[in-house]
Amino acid sequence: MSDKTIRVATDVGGTFTDLVYFETDNATGRQTVRTAKSDTTPPNFEQGVLNVLAKAEVDPADIAFFAHGTTVVINALTERKGAKTALITTEGFRDVLEIARGNRPDFFNLQYVKPEPFVPRYLCREVPGRIAYTGAERSPLELEGLPAILEDFRAEGVEAIAICLLHSYADPRHEQAVAAEVRRLWPEVSVVASHQITREWREYERASTAVLSAYVQPVASRYLGRLEDGLASKDFGGQLYVMQSNCGVDSLAATREIPITMVESGPASGFWGAAELGRILGEKNVLALDIGGTTAKCSLIENGHVKIMTDYWIERDRTASGYPIMVPVVDLVEIGNGGGSIAWVDDFGKLHVGPQSAGAMPGPAAYARGGTQATTTDANLALGRIDKDYFCGGTITADMKAVDGALNALAEKLGLSPIEAARGILRIANNNMINALKLVSLNRGHDPRDFTLVAFGGGGAMHAVALATELGMKKVVIPRGASVFSAWGMMMSDLRRDFFVSRLIEQSDARSAALEALLHETKLRAVEQFAKEGVAADKVKLVPFIKCRYQNQEHAVEVEFTSATVDAASIQAMIDRFHTAYEREYTYRLDAPVEIVGLHLVASAEVGKLEMNALPTTGATLDQAVKSRRDVDYALEGVHEATIYDLAKLEPGMRFSGPAILEDSGTTVVIHPGNRVSIDAYGNTHIELGA
Amino acid sequence: MTTPSHDPVTFDIIQNSLQAISDEMFAAMRKTAMSAIIYEVLDMGTGICAADGEIASSGAGIPSFIGVLDKAAKAILRKHPVTSIYPGDVFVTNDPFYGGVTHLNDVVLVMPVFAEGEIVAWTANIAHWNDVGGMVPGSMSTDAKEIYQEGLRIPAIKIIEKGVSNQSVMDLMTVNSRLPEFLKGDMWAAIAAVRIGEKRILDLVAKYGKGTFIAAMKHFMDYGEQVTLKALKELPKGKFSFAEEQDSGQIYKVTVEITDDEFIVDLTDNPDQTLTPSNASRDGVVVSCQMAIKAITDVSAPANGGSFRPLVVKTRPGSIFDAQEPAAHGFYYEVEIRVFDLILRCLAQHLPEKLSAGSFASICGTVLGGPHPDTGRHFTIVEPELGGWGAMPGRDGNNAIFSGFHGETFNCPAEIAEARYGLYVDQLALNPEEGGEGQWRGGKGIRMDYRVRADGNFLTCGYTRSRIMPWGMEGGHEGTGNHVDVIKSDGSRKRYSFATGIELNKGDVVRVVTGNGGGYGDPKKRDRAAVLDDIKNGYLSAERARTIYGVEI
Repeated sequence: MSDKTIRVATDVGGTFTDLVYFETDNATGRQTVRTAKSDTTPPNFEQGVLNVLAKAEVDPADIAFFAHGTTVVINALTERKGAKTALITTEGFRDVLEIARGNRPDFFNLQYVKPEPFVPRYLCREVPGRIAYTGAERSPLELEGLPAILEDFRAEGVEAIAICLLHSYADPRHEQAVAAEVRRLWPEVSVVASHQITREWREYERASTAVLSAYVQPVASRYLGRLEDGLASKDFGGQLYVMQSNCGVDSLAATREIPITMVESGPASGFWGAAELGRILGEKNVLALDIGGTTAKCSLIENGHVKIMTDYWIERDRTASGYPIMVPVVDLVEIGNGGGSIAWVDDFGKLHVGPQSAGAMPGPAAYARGGTQATTTDANLALGRIDKDYFCGGTITADMKAVDGALNALAEKLGLSPIEAARGILRIANNNMINALKLVSLNRGHDPRDFTLVAFGGGGAMHAVALATELGMKKVVIPRGASVFSAWGMMMSDLRRDFFVSRLIEQSDARSAALEALLHETKLRAVEQFAKEGVAADKVKLVPFIKCRYQNQEHAVEVEFTSATVDAASIQAMIDRFHTAYEREYTYRLDAPVEIVGLHLVASAEVGKLEMNALPTTGATLDQAVKSRRDVDYALEGVHEATIYDLAKLEPGMRFSGPAILEDSGTTVVIHPGNRVSIDAYGNTHIELGA
Repeated sequence: MTTPSHDPVTFDIIQNSLQAISDEMFAAMRKTAMSAIIYEVLDMGTGICAADGEIASSGAGIPSFIGVLDKAAKAILRKHPVTSIYPGDVFVTNDPFYGGVTHLNDVVLVMPVFAEGEIVAWTANIAHWNDVGGMVPGSMSTDAKEIYQEGLRIPAIKIIEKGVSNQSVMDLMTVNSRLPEFLKGDMWAAIAAVRIGEKRILDLVAKYGKGTFIAAMKHFMDYGEQVTLKALKELPKGKFSFAEEQDSGQIYKVTVEITDDEFIVDLTDNPDQTLTPSNASRDGVVVSCQMAIKAITDVSAPANGGSFRPLVVKTRPGSIFDAQEPAAHGFYYEVEIRVFDLILRCLAQHLPEKLSAGSFASICGTVLGGPHPDTGRHFTIVEPELGGWGAMPGRDGNNAIFSGFHGETFNCPAEIAEARYGLYVDQLALNPEEGGEGQWRGGKGIRMDYRVRADGNFLTCGYTRSRIMPWGMEGGHEGTGNHVDVIKSDGSRKRYSFATGIELNKGDVVRVVTGNGGGYGDPKKRDRAAVLDDIKNGYLSAERARTIYGVEI
């Protein structure tokens, strides 16, 4: 056995491919961390991964655990660069994608345009045969027409086929038969049936999910194949896992089959990291906030649990209905507010921030790349919160003339001074983020004052204290390496799959048996799948959540099913918990019958994740970490002289008070007057708010 | 350190927060409602009104519901002296003669928000409750002649006083419904929503102070007015009149006058109210006009009381557009959407860049109920239907989308319908009928078959634009009509558009057919590639491509 264990996480983003390297000395437990960045290399993204490994001087042959996150799926979707896809569905439902749900979020707009389906009508075809909602066969599947359909698909150059038949969530036998016949007749084509991805009802959502998965499958499969080959050519022999949207990692082989599960893997790893950090620190209730260049995302972690749901849509906002993808995705709220968000004044003198972003090109005015509109980053510079002489870790000279110019233009329209305009930008941006944080907390019956805010990403630490104060929270934690925290989260992830199954079980004498059967068959499916990944049954952790609702309602509440046996007593205990959970979320309870509508089974297994060890201290004093002092504008709290600390020189056990700014090359932490700061054993910054 | 008040940024923050609160109320209500028409179809709305009742912000849902909430709040203020309104009160109304605006099924809950002993705002919601009594299940009968036949009238009364439920009122409401459990669930969902809204507004007032909060509300209304005035300046000025025959044979007339600062809709010259449920209250017709002015001014800006200040609506009491007690209102929405569509048609040729050729333009309200063959429990479907929209210069109309009166409304998935209602959905497809051709063609409506699985089911429908088709423009062909075909198990077939209590038994099929939108421009000018695409996609036959579009393959 080697004397050190090396774990690497790489994250392919739009502009950069990030790497975090963790080396643990197996004898001393001493951990070394390295980070590196190199350009993302479209369309051969795997080259960027190999490049960043080389740049960090990591020999793939030494790596024991390699976690990989990529935006290849979401990019293929948003840039419409997937495969030519066809759909096979139940007779009478050819137009399922075209019809969708008929909704129109932009509801005064009579010029609204419905989103165009990913499959044109001529590539949507039908097969006769019906399954009932109970799973029973109503009429047999007829495959006589399939060869002719496939001939048409071939002639049209179809590369991928999605299959979605009515009620396949209840019994997938017809879908399986169609898929088997497609594979027999046309072995080369990429094919996916909806039940392989989800066992939940709603035919449009399931069809959309299958279609989008088929659409990205060839692209994602080629990419993952080349990544595997590229690493193999460098003698990589460790475990390779791919980050998923459900906060877990999965094997490369499984991901190649159903790549759509990667769609939101980027934010998922950060939120998982926040949950794991909370576990290490004994903070079980966490509000996690990730602020990047163009968006801010937040999620709530209650009692150590991240919430995983299947109500996920792409390209959905106030003006567009978007496309549903019914896969397990961490419950998050995302808004168009990041460091690069552009501030603008409408025709009536109202100030707005975002959702338009200056991106990397031209970027904020301070980048001096031609940006003339003020962004949140420019406001932070003008107010002295970001050090103009240490902008982007000193790699970019902040063009303060451009910043002033952009703010002046804005201020003129508002009838305010430039500094007031900069404060206004921050206040509006913060308010947008507060509303997002409320959506995941107050809106769902959680009081943010019971939570600790964990903020990361390029901009999280800059805004965290102001947001937490506004929400009445008592504590903020900025993780060490906040700007690459998502990659850290990947190394903390388990092999995880979430099984969602729709099944209506009404209150009756047969209920225990029906629930037991549902639990049994789903657990069996989970254990079988994990066995294929080389995980023994006794290493698989299974946590069942039952979806319950009052009879006739639609939206269900998940309650954990804690008992090992299913009987009247354990079901009653679950129903009691349902009433409590329901009342907390919705303020009332009913004496109506409670019915079960399905199961969410979380299956996970540890696969060599990182164990954190305490950082050594050098005996350096706090004074040695002080860089300087400067005036910082805290918006509503006025201007204060703040002490500027070098984040890299702060060591476990150090304590001090605000006003202060902590900075390193990737992160700026804004500490407000009266805040108390301490550095914990792992190098994380804890900020206590209030008196 | 004092918080500066009355600065523009604080105003913006308060106004953004009002939007967030309306959205939160909406989410809370959606998740807890008992009836599919609320949680799935989202036949509901939430909002916040200023102290005087003007609408300040609204949650997503149905645009035509947004203009209802302010009228309900104002009716409560008219009926109840301010001294008899207390913190913790919740009012309920469903009666068009008491601020309910629409019909008895739409129940509005309104809660005052008090700060320092004074009302500073109201939180409110409206939703379609499945059954409020009356002469037929689902409460809406095409045979109703008076409002008394349409269910329990609730005339803007307190359901909760000072935080304490009035059990007598709740019992009275519950016992008058054929679906009491649904009613209770929907009622508590609505109560939860107004209470959440109240709590959040109080947080906001506590943070910024009462004076600043009220000033921000006022400023927001003024902003709404400025947006509309600016947009009005860019519209063609003048007086435009239009008359249109209806399916019923009645002629509806409108005159719209657009000036620099007013948008005047004159509906006085119209038929008397009728002894049918196809009447609308003046409040309801005002909502139609609000939707129309919004659609042609600024659709992206918020809709609040100020946005509608430049609107003037003229009606004649006792007419179909200003019906007096005891007129029945069950199908008010078909009257309202006809007014909305009439205004659009009147202005379409003057505003081709904003308005399309004719759309299917009906709610196509469909009520189907009976015993669930597997559970034995009674079910009722109450749903609007999808249809095709008209073409505009430069683009084809949308396929299968709810009418302009709906917004964030979702159709019911076939899988859910089959489980919940015990029907079979044999097909849900685009309407294959011909029509709506043009240089840009109308969008397709739908053809949906519900196959009934048990005896003793009934159907009620109220569709307009069944006989008078969606109009074509500039040489585009007219679209097709909305109707229901009932295909009995013996093969006989009958067509309906407005009917109540049609008996259905096992094996009968209810075929919902909604219109294809009208076309815009001469079909001969349609791009050849677009015609070929239509043929490939099965929207068009080669024969029709030749005869209508002049395209030979």
